[in-house]
Amino acid sequence: MKDWEPKIVAFLCNWCSYGAADLAGVSRFQYPPYIRVIRIPCTGRLNPKFVLAAFRHGADGVWISGCHPGDCHYLEGNYYARRRFALLKSLLEYMGIEPERIHFSWVSSAEAGKFVEVVSEVTETVKKVGPLKYFMKKRPEVE
Amino acid sequence: MKEYIPKIREIARKLLEEEKVDAVLGFRKGTIPMMNEPFMARSASDVDLLYWDSNCGINLANYLHKRKEKIAVVAKGCDTRNIVNHIVENQVKRDQLYIIGIPCRGMIDRRQILAMFEGREIEEVDEDAENVIIKGDGLSETIPRVEVLQENCSICIHHNPVIYDEMVDEPVEEPDHVDRYDDIKAIEEMDPEERYQYFRDIFSPCIRCYACRNSCPLCYCPTCFVDESRPQWVGKSIDITDVMTFHFLRAFHCAGRCTDCGSCERACPVGIPMRLLTKKLEKDIRELYGYEAGMSLDERPPLDTYRPDDPEFFIK
Amino acid sequence: MESVSGEAGNFQVEVVNHPRYIDPDKCTGCGVCKQHCPVDAIDEFNQGLCRRTATYIQYAQAVPLSYTIDRDACIGCGLCEKVCLAQAPLYDDHENRQTVEVGAIVLALGNEVFRPDELAAYNYDTHPNVVTSLEFERILSASGPYQGHLLRPYDLQEPKKIAWIQCVGSRDVHHCSNSYCSAVCCMYAIKEAVIAKSHSHSGLDTAIFYMDMRTMGKDFERYYRRARDEYGVRFVRCRVHSIEPVDDGNLSISYLAEDGGIEEETFDMVVLSVGFQTSKKVRELAGKLQIELGPHDFARTSSLAPVTTSRPGVFVCGAFQGPKDIPQSVMEASAAASAVGTVLSEVRGTMTKSREVPQPRDISGEPPRVGVFVCHCGINIGGIVDVPAVRDYARSLPYVEYVADNLYTCSQDTQLLIKEAIEKHRLNRVVVAACTPRTHEPLFQETLIDAGLNKYLFEMANIRNQDSWVHDDPEEATEKAKDLVRMAVAKAALLEPLRDSEIEVKEGALVIGGGIAGMSAALSLADSGYHVDLIEKEGELGGNARKLHLTWKGENVREILEKMIRDVENNPSITVHLNTELKNVDGFMGNFTSVIENDGKEETIEHGVAVVATGAGELKPDEYMYGKDSRVLTHLELDQKFLQDDPELEKINCAVFIQCVGSRESERPYCSRVCCTHSVQSALEIKKRNPDASVFILYRDMRTYGEREDLYHEARAAGVIFIRYDVENKPTVSVKNGKLQVEVIDHVLGKPVMLEPDLLTLATAIVSPGDEKLAQFFKVALNEDGFFVEAHAKLRPVDFATDGVYLCGLAHYPKSIDESIAQGQAAAARAMTLLARKKVEVSGMVATVNPFLCSSCGVCVAVCPFNAPSFNDRGVSEINPALCKGCGLCVASCRSGAISLKGFDEPQIFAMIESL
Ligand SMILES: Cc1cc2nc3c(=O)[nH]c(=O)nc-3n(C[C@H](O)[C@H](O)[C@H](O)COP(=O)(O)OP(=O)(O)OC[C@H]3O[C@@H](n4cnc5c(N)ncnc54)[C@H](O)[C@@H]3O)c2cc1C
Ligand code: SF4
Ligand code: SF4
Ligand code: SF4
Ligand code: SF4
Ligand code: FES
Repeated sequence: MKDWEPKIVAFLCNWCSYGAADLAGVSRFQYPPYIRVIRIPCTGRLNPKFVLAAFRHGADGVWISGCHPGDCHYLEGNYYARRRFALLKSLLEYMGIEPERIHFSWVSSAEAGKFVEVVSEVTETVKKVGPLKYFMKKRPEVE
Repeated sequence: MKEYIPKIREIARKLLEEEKVDAVLGFRKGTIPMMNEPFMARSASDVDLLYWDSNCGINLANYLHKRKEKIAVVAKGCDTRNIVNHIVENQVKRDQLYIIGIPCRGMIDRRQILAMFEGREIEEVDEDAENVIIKGDGLSETIPRVEVLQENCSICIHHNPVIYDEMVDEPVEEPDHVDRYDDIKAIEEMDPEERYQYFRDIFSPCIRCYACRNSCPLCYCPTCFVDESRPQWVGKSIDITDVMTFHFLRAFHCAGRCTDCGSCERACPVGIPMRLLTKKLEKDIRELYGYEAGMSLDERPPLDTYRPDDPEFFIK
Repeated sequence: MESVSGEAGNFQVEVVNHPRYIDPDKCTGCGVCKQHCPVDAIDEFNQGLCRRTATYIQYAQAVPLSYTIDRDACIGCGLCEKVCLAQAPLYDDHENRQTVEVGAIVLALGNEVFRPDELAAYNYDTHPNVVTSLEFERILSASGPYQGHLLRPYDLQEPKKIAWIQCVGSRDVHHCSNSYCSAVCCMYAIKEAVIAKSHSHSGLDTAIFYMDMRTMGKDFERYYRRARDEYGVRFVRCRVHSIEPVDDGNLSISYLAEDGGIEEETFDMVVLSVGFQTSKKVRELAGKLQIELGPHDFARTSSLAPVTTSRPGVFVCGAFQGPKDIPQSVMEASAAASAVGTVLSEVRGTMTKSREVPQPRDISGEPPRVGVFVCHCGINIGGIVDVPAVRDYARSLPYVEYVADNLYTCSQDTQLLIKEAIEKHRLNRVVVAACTPRTHEPLFQETLIDAGLNKYLFEMANIRNQDSWVHDDPEEATEKAKDLVRMAVAKAALLEPLRDSEIEVKEGALVIGGGIAGMSAALSLADSGYHVDLIEKEGELGGNARKLHLTWKGENVREILEKMIRDVENNPSITVHLNTELKNVDGFMGNFTSVIENDGKEETIEHGVAVVATGAGELKPDEYMYGKDSRVLTHLELDQKFLQDDPELEKINCAVFIQCVGSRESERPYCSRVCCTHSVQSALEIKKRNPDASVFILYRDMRTYGEREDLYHEARAAGVIFIRYDVENKPTVSVKNGKLQVEVIDHVLGKPVMLEPDLLTLATAIVSPGDEKLAQFFKVALNEDGFFVEAHAKLRPVDFATDGVYLCGLAHYPKSIDESIAQGQAAAARAMTLLARKKVEVSGMVATVNPFLCSSCGVCVAVCPFNAPSFNDRGVSEINPALCKGCGLCVASCRSGAISLKGFDEPQIFAMIESL
């Protein structure tokens, strides 16, 4: 039987981190195949509901990535998002989500190398903490 | 705090007689002990019904949004901070209000007193500056008020109104060091599994009656996220994930706006301490952004703004 | 470009297209050829620090993203032709000459960097760890030779200590002939030091060896302070003598410290901050074009026409006009566009063609019918992912009516197939599983349009860049591809047709401020055929320029000003409103209604765009006895005397200038940019009137950037004495026995010096009043110093974040007359991009508010970077689609769930999450 494989949802802003993912491809950098990318216009678009919903639907980890501060295509989206993320992450952890499950990064469209580093790190940490235990819609029978 | 009553009435009478306001929003004595009710005095003849003591915990800001008339409101520290929120968030206009400021000494915890005398009927609860006097059914007990304060009041650091047109008395002294976050820190110390179990135990009695939401002055959306149908993504059941998701988002919506007035906990029929979530956010926001809710008319809540050099230690 | 004949309005330009040996129309940029190419060549783009193959692209973001073959390196093995399934290689490609007919020419030829080979004492040639700043830029770059890891070339180890040497090939007539300042190196060195620190793993020590720190751009001084105080970059004021190799690839720098002592320090790596120079090729081209070059081989221009060369119809911008940084280059680029617009205004729009598109089909009421096209991309996808399996899987998904797989889904013939499938199977949603929407979405959307489908009924699954290219396990990659297709189909089923709408643009422009910049903008707009209302709050046009004597190029400001005022007044398209202020502004880009007031009378002006050119003023200081002694003047006051040719000036025996009065201090931590040059020029003017006068300039850093450095040379040659002071130890001014006394510590002598001037000129700061009202009218921002904030400091220096409003002159930041004129022209050009369109197209992917859900909390109004939301008369929020850029910030911020974002709406994103 195959090892357990984590399911990780990545919300990437269209202009930077999604571009980095594309560039990682152009550069043929290899990385673990467990992320599923959802393209959003900007990290400012990220509604905290998306993260809760991702966990509800069985994501073992969530990763959100956008442009570096000052480089947001929409000038300020990531600055607002940064505050939202800080509180989101803190409250999720406070309620029992392991810190290993929720990640944020700034990766520019030129930083294919950083993109791969972050995917690998995210995958590793999610793998280490194992399948999501709670906050999903249908909890496993054994608890 | 009963000594404020004559002054409240005097101000109210003057305002109504001079037609400076259309109504005065305050409290009247409740029919059940420790249950004073919000009351709207519309004419001078109503004024003598206005009342004040340590059982006026309900946050009157909750009665102000989308009002058209000119209104005077009797407001303690936390109420005024919620009024500030309301003004900043466009729910009421400053010039529509006449704020009668109460230097608050804290509200008493009805639930605690009921528990102390469980099974015995309480007929009357009176108070003086230091004590609460409980009478009834052969009872007459005097308890120091500090022992029966609502938990949020016992750690309150803004007893005095932050915004007012007239005060009923001199400000009370604010405590100089209170640790508002003992309980939060203890939870932060736990490991994730323990935290989850802890909150699961806390929230599992929730019956999703939404009394907490309804009593909160911050919750004024025409349609609450829990009632959204397109997409209907958060279940309405009392399955623990649904309940915790509800509480997570309710708290998140109050981030940077909650004044810890305690309305939610007071309203909950099953006694859920959901302030553990709002206070956690309050603590984070204070530490990260140096911001306290409802203190200034010139600032928007912290999620509506940013600084280029905000902390980002959690970002790779 | 080889040669030019003809004249303004009618040039014939001969251009040569060098062969690429790979057909850019066929190349998909997949890079399979590169993977097979056996050749090992020097990567000149990365400054020779690494290798590349013979088929290559310069860097991954190159436009167009198509490969070329380096025929000098190619060994002719023919492998690339074999592996390229797109059949793009063209071994017999050849040079292609053509003549293009144009009305005007813009020269943006740029510069080359100085090659430090000749500076033997720096050992650049002989030591790999001595690199140029350009090499270092590549080293820091994520796409550079070391993928952004901070390494030194010698042993590929991370350096722990790096030095920057400033002014290499600039301000130097001993080792080269570049006497001018390159104007960008101080700032880029600081930037490199800060970035290097952030890339370092071991607390990198950085030191910049410099003569004067020239951070005179907007927000540069703040950056300099942060680098020094927060990041701990060390700044060493000195003259570097030599760089000698010591052990282990390290280098020892010996330098002459300010106090005259020789010091030494060892570093792991040294970066030479090389300057700009015009290349031989460009000089030759300029010769062929018959345009005049200035003394340093930059294109000659005048302050009045800063982007106009000596040859009519030929314009210039960027570093070929003179050394400058990116924002300044971008500004001039717009200015050149504006100048071209003026020349060609008569023929505007005569060559545009419009395209016929079929009426999109009405799909309302139809259940989703999704077509899925899975691409092999040659072997790029198909080589790893089991494409037929993905195709078959797609068929099993809800709403999918049609599936296909294609060798190249983006090829021309596949577009026909897609179109046919849409028509035949009445598809109303299309999913392409292929490469990235960032490059290919527009292409497929065109196909939808041709097939009569709304272009927003399209979604892509990125199974190449984000799957087959990055995972080598076919099974896992195939599974992932299925997941991605499932998510895309789930979203696609919920897509709705969106309408791109159009908004009319009103004809005219409103220019606020009648100084040099405002007049320059007004003239450019009027000469291009647009009506301009120019409002000036004073009774006279000209602003600060009325009080100035000379430009830094030595032209008489009065003459420039008088010409401009005459041109403005005689231009029938400009209505000048003097003594007039703005009372109110309503509307948004393309549709403003403003009320102006003159002498109590109000007038309403309708305009499509607005240019803010409200300028700034001179600080009246409260130090150095200003206002207490009539011998203490500001620059403008001294210029007044020059303008009147005051005979007293000839009698001055001793003149002192104090620099940075009110600038570069905690209260005003910015450099006022013009004052150093101004003082030097005034010092020379005094010397001219009385060569025996002793003239002293007390400065902190001399910031005579660019070719202004010549004036600094000239002043020193004329005997002007420069004494440096520290801000912690400012000069003191007092009066004793009726004599003005200035005391300052001389750093070279290490002793206080006492001067007794008959004239003390204070180089006071340029200060902006910070016009809050104007900022609110146009919903634009002011910075901490009271200057207006542009949309992007580097790339959009004259735009505001709010569309339809533009910025120029001192209101943006202190700058000289030529720079203000260029920025005025630039603002006009940016405004014309809107005016010329007559209608603005508004994307369908915008946010909209459901009024029944809005709680009027104002979050959206507060957060939107583009001021699109506002409250309507029912008190709920409404988003102006013309201003909304579709970022979704408000959507995620609205607690009430009242806002939806077309194309990235909540239900669509949830559908993707639910189908994880
Ligand atoms: C090491 C270094 C670091 C820098 N760092 C910064 C920084 O951090 N921030 C900043 O703002 N500025 C920086 N600058 C300055 C910045 O690079 C310039 O301001 C800017 O690039 C100038 O742009 P340009 O378009 O005028 O010239 P260029 O960038 O030189 O572009 C000119 C273009 O014209 C092409 N060309 C030349 N002749 C012909 C011809 N005959 N036909 C067709 N094409 C031709 C050239 O190939 C070139 O692509 C730096 C400069 C250097 C050297
Ligand atoms: S926490 Fe209490 S008040 Fe709130 S919904 Fe649950 S049961 Fe009701
Ligand atoms: S004198 Fe003016 S230009 Fe020179 S450094 Fe000071 S502020 Fe900048
Ligand atoms: S954020 Fe939402 S509720 Fe608030 S004003 Fe905007 S649309 Fe209305
Ligand atoms: S989507 Fe972005 S640009 Fe559009 S209104 Fe909302 S915040 Fe503004
Ligand atoms: S566009 Fe990338 S974070 Fe805003």
